Amino acid sequence: MSLISQRVVDILGPYVGETVADTCVRASALSLGKTTDDLTAADFPALEANVRRLLGPMAPSDVIDRLLADIERGIS
Amino acid sequence: MSTASGPARPGQILTPRTITLIAVLVALTALFGWLSSLMYADALSDAAYAAAYWYGTGLQVVFAVVIVLVALGIGLHQHVGKQWLFVGLGVVAYALGDITWTILDLHMGLDPYPSIADIFYTLEYVFFFAAIVLAIRSYRALTSLRGPVVFGLLVGGVAAAVIYLSLLRPYILPAGAEELGLWGLVVSTLYPVGDVFLMLAPAVTLAIVIMRLGAGRLAWPWWLVVVGAFVFSLTDSFYSYVDWAGTGSNVFLDMGWMVANLIFAVAALVARNIYRPS
Repeated sequence: MSLISQRVVDILGPYVGETVADTCVRASALSLGKTTDDLTAADFPALEANVRRLLGPMAPSDVIDRLLADIERGIS
Repeated sequence: MSTASGPARPGQILTPRTITLIAVLVALTALFGWLSSLMYADALSDAAYAAAYWYGTGLQVVFAVVIVLVALGIGLHQHVGKQWLFVGLGVVAYALGDITWTILDLHMGLDPYPSIADIFYTLEYVFFFAAIVLAIRSYRALTSLRGPVVFGLLVGGVAAAVIYLSLLRPYILPAGAEELGLWGLVVSTLYPVGDVFLMLAPAVTLAIVIMRLGAGRLAWPWWLVVVGAFVFSLTDSFYSYVDWAGTGSNVFLDMGWMVANLIFAVAALVARNIYRPS
């Protein structure tokens, strides 16, 4: 698993569970035609879009903003 | 020095303020449980009985206000804010039903069942169903909902069969509109059916969805809502049964609705903490 994939699971996992966190990573990789191992910091915009789409209905936007900021901080 | 309104320590999900609020609500409910036992034992003067009656009704209002305030705090422009608003409106409807019931029973000396109070009580089912459907749909991009919905309907079907065999067939349907009046027949049927299809089945469906995803702390409040729905639907169904079977209610059964709405209020407070900025 790439650094960004692991970071996403670490940050999102406690909030949405590892299954959903992993789904966010796989959806992002799929949308870019990559595997989860190939995701890099440059793929963050795609990851952000997928996290907002998947988690938007179940969490307030400020929570999602905070989680994304935590992810971005750990990969930049 | 820590205070009751201070922030949560790192790693602590619930703030001291939330824990205090939950403890206060639980203590207020326990106090009503004690008062209710005195009411059942006929150990209160008329004035104390009326005060205890209104105290219980007022507590339902408190639960409703807590949930609606949490929903407004989250923001109604947020999808999840709407979900909690519907939970809150359900408890508001129940509280309005309780106020109406109390006035009819305590101050007007009228039989409150069936009455306009039943409109408010049954509205809780409608709002709760809306809240749960929205919560379930929020997971639709993550997992197939067909399996959980089918399982929920299966559980609902079994529960409906039990309700039919133990309540509708032996008691309510034979009484019919001639004995109950049309409105009485409608609400007598609507309560147990609503318990099954608008409370229990959706709650089971939501529980399966959450369980399947192995969800994290965002799901905690919804687990509490599921528990509250079980308590509510079981209480309501058992109350219908003991009422029709003539076995008599008791303080524990009467506390069921109070405990269910308490659990909904606690769920809202937990949600408020989980959604808070760190």
